[in-house]
Amino acid sequence: MSAVRTTCPFCLNGCESIVTSDYQFRMEYPQDATVNKGRLCPRGNSASIVVDHPKRLAYPLLDGKEVSWDHAMQYMGSAMAGAKPEEMAVVYSRGLAESEVRLAWGFARAVGTPNLVCGYVEPDNCFQHRLAGVKAATIEQVKAARTTLLVGDVFGTSPVASGPILEARYADRKNRLIVIDSIRTRQAGQAHVFLQVRPGTEVFCLLGMAGSLDKGPGIDVELCAAASGLSGRQLADAAQMLVNGPSFVGSAMHLGRVYYPVQHSLMSQLVAIKAGAPFTGFGEACVPLGKTGFEEFRRQAGSGDLKSVFWFGGMYPYSYPELMPELTGQVQFRIVTSIFRPENALPGLVIPVPSELEKESTGQSYWGEVVRHPVAAAYSGARPLARVLGESAAVTELQADPVSEVSAREAVEKTVAALSGHRPVPVGVGFCLLGEKRASGIGGFYDAEDEIRLSSPDAAKLSVGTGEYVEVESATGKAEFRVRVTVAVPEGAMSIGVNAHRNRALFPLAKDAVSGKTTIAPAQVQVAKSARTSAPAVEMIARVG
Amino acid sequence: MAKRLVVKLDLCIGCRACEAACRSRFKGEARIRYAEVSETVSLPMPCRHCEEPLCVAACPFGVIVRDEQGGVVRQASFHCVGCRSCMLACPFGVIETELLRDVSQKCSLCSDRPEGPRCAATCPTGALQFVEEEKLAEKKTGVGFAVRSVHGRRL
Repeated sequence: MSAVRTTCPFCLNGCESIVTSDYQFRMEYPQDATVNKGRLCPRGNSASIVVDHPKRLAYPLLDGKEVSWDHAMQYMGSAMAGAKPEEMAVVYSRGLAESEVRLAWGFARAVGTPNLVCGYVEPDNCFQHRLAGVKAATIEQVKAARTTLLVGDVFGTSPVASGPILEARYADRKNRLIVIDSIRTRQAGQAHVFLQVRPGTEVFCLLGMAGSLDKGPGIDVELCAAASGLSGRQLADAAQMLVNGPSFVGSAMHLGRVYYPVQHSLMSQLVAIKAGAPFTGFGEACVPLGKTGFEEFRRQAGSGDLKSVFWFGGMYPYSYPELMPELTGQVQFRIVTSIFRPENALPGLVIPVPSELEKESTGQSYWGEVVRHPVAAAYSGARPLARVLGESAAVTELQADPVSEVSAREAVEKTVAALSGHRPVPVGVGFCLLGEKRASGIGGFYDAEDEIRLSSPDAAKLSVGTGEYVEVESATGKAEFRVRVTVAVPEGAMSIGVNAHRNRALFPLAKDAVSGKTTIAPAQVQVAKSARTSAPAVEMIARVG
Repeated sequence: MAKRLVVKLDLCIGCRACEAACRSRFKGEARIRYAEVSETVSLPMPCRHCEEPLCVAACPFGVIVRDEQGGVVRQASFHCVGCRSCMLACPFGVIETELLRDVSQKCSLCSDRPEGPRCAATCPTGALQFVEEEKLAEKKTGVGFAVRSVHGRRL
């Protein structure tokens, strides 16, 4: 039996845990851990499932068929030889260690391609855009805050981070918790002040708060408040609470929840600066930006300019080649790395790599540097990225370019432009589908992923009740969901959990009009009552995990 | 000194880490349940380890016993046949009714772990705590305190 103390890789909170392996992998909770005191969320608790998950990929797949490693490397060689450097693209995504990102950069330089793309397009990656003058928070500051402002579902993104936040909230009767969100989550239930904004428009609420704290930049607070469905007085009151005493601003974004992720990140920081508070952006991963934008990569792939695409980083469930028909249609050679077997037979080569729990790595958390140690030997058949790349080209590590700081003035100007260009989704034209981070372990711990939450007026409109089924159709897919009528979701909107791959596929990739970045915004969907009345048989494998 | 598992309703954020910790230890079968009272209020439902446990009385094979010293109601032998009498008897409905291995799943406060139950160790906010009975009254961490208020508002 062995026991390895490591850091959980599933969000950036840096929770330490001990994974013991005897007849099965088990978790132990180190009480002396500084960040989490041994506490873990459902994902952290089920982390070890990844190591011996029944869907682990153990051999290279070419067009859905098992091939030998020699054959796979031959295909990789032909992908490099069969295309000019400008016809190749190197994409790197989540699930890579910092050194592996540097290897991807080095690989792009070795093959000479200018197309180096960050493939992690989830909104939380935008927290690496920093506003000049913002101060990063420490855990002590979070615990000592008298007023805490949380934007988005921080508790859903990093449940363990809720510990110090709630400690501050309950430390004194005068302490206050303000929550800005479009859905009434559990976190909102803890709040003294809950500002329920229109779906996706947290950014305008924040702009209004910054404007009411600093009259200088000439921000129309009433206009901002109206865009997010609130009143100017509410924003001013909330902003005023932040100024009194030590405060803390935390912001979270996730898939299908906000419209302008970069501005959202910058405006949260602006409110923190104006209130003199430290700031933390809560997200699941931070992948350095590439040299070519993802939007440009999509355009090139769609127009047939690209012949070979190398996609590194866990393919499922972290990134979206399946969502990109242009990638499977126009591109001749596709190479992706993956931990799990793809759900559909994906054209091209799928290379098995070790998971984050099976490699040594260093990285950043919200609160500082963390080190991860392998809890098990690499899965049989998987090869580390360094070896895969080393066999195909002479690759040396190359440091990614740092993200430059944005000035407050520029950020405000762009957000005001977004505000003037923003058109609220008209009522009556379909529904607005929101993504929600629900409690979920890795590997299907819970079976509530087929649940859709909607308000009672919408339920009456569709003539459905709790327990009945609806069919949801978006631009990229169609799925059936079990209805749950709730007061948490505003009229005109519906929310689904985004941990399940099939749910995530309902959200199309969209272009953020202000920053030009690819993002995953709330989706416009058509909903109709389904003929189905009973639940499908529960898969045994999902129950056992 | 006897310890009790107590719930502070104020602090539960409904993340279900307790259930996940229990499931990952007991191979997919959680011995702690989770209930949603409303959209914003939820609570974990661990075994109460009753003073006069009905599951002990209902078990036809005497598998479930109550330790007089620690007050823990646990399965003391491997003779469980999965007859589900304990599930029917439990007034709180905390014994899982779906059996994966034809053995009833009864919380033993993680008797295999000297530090105490895993659900209390993992709870991100400290809503589930494993504290000594004597300290319950003085620290105001008891169930009674928790039930009187939710999110700081008195019921």
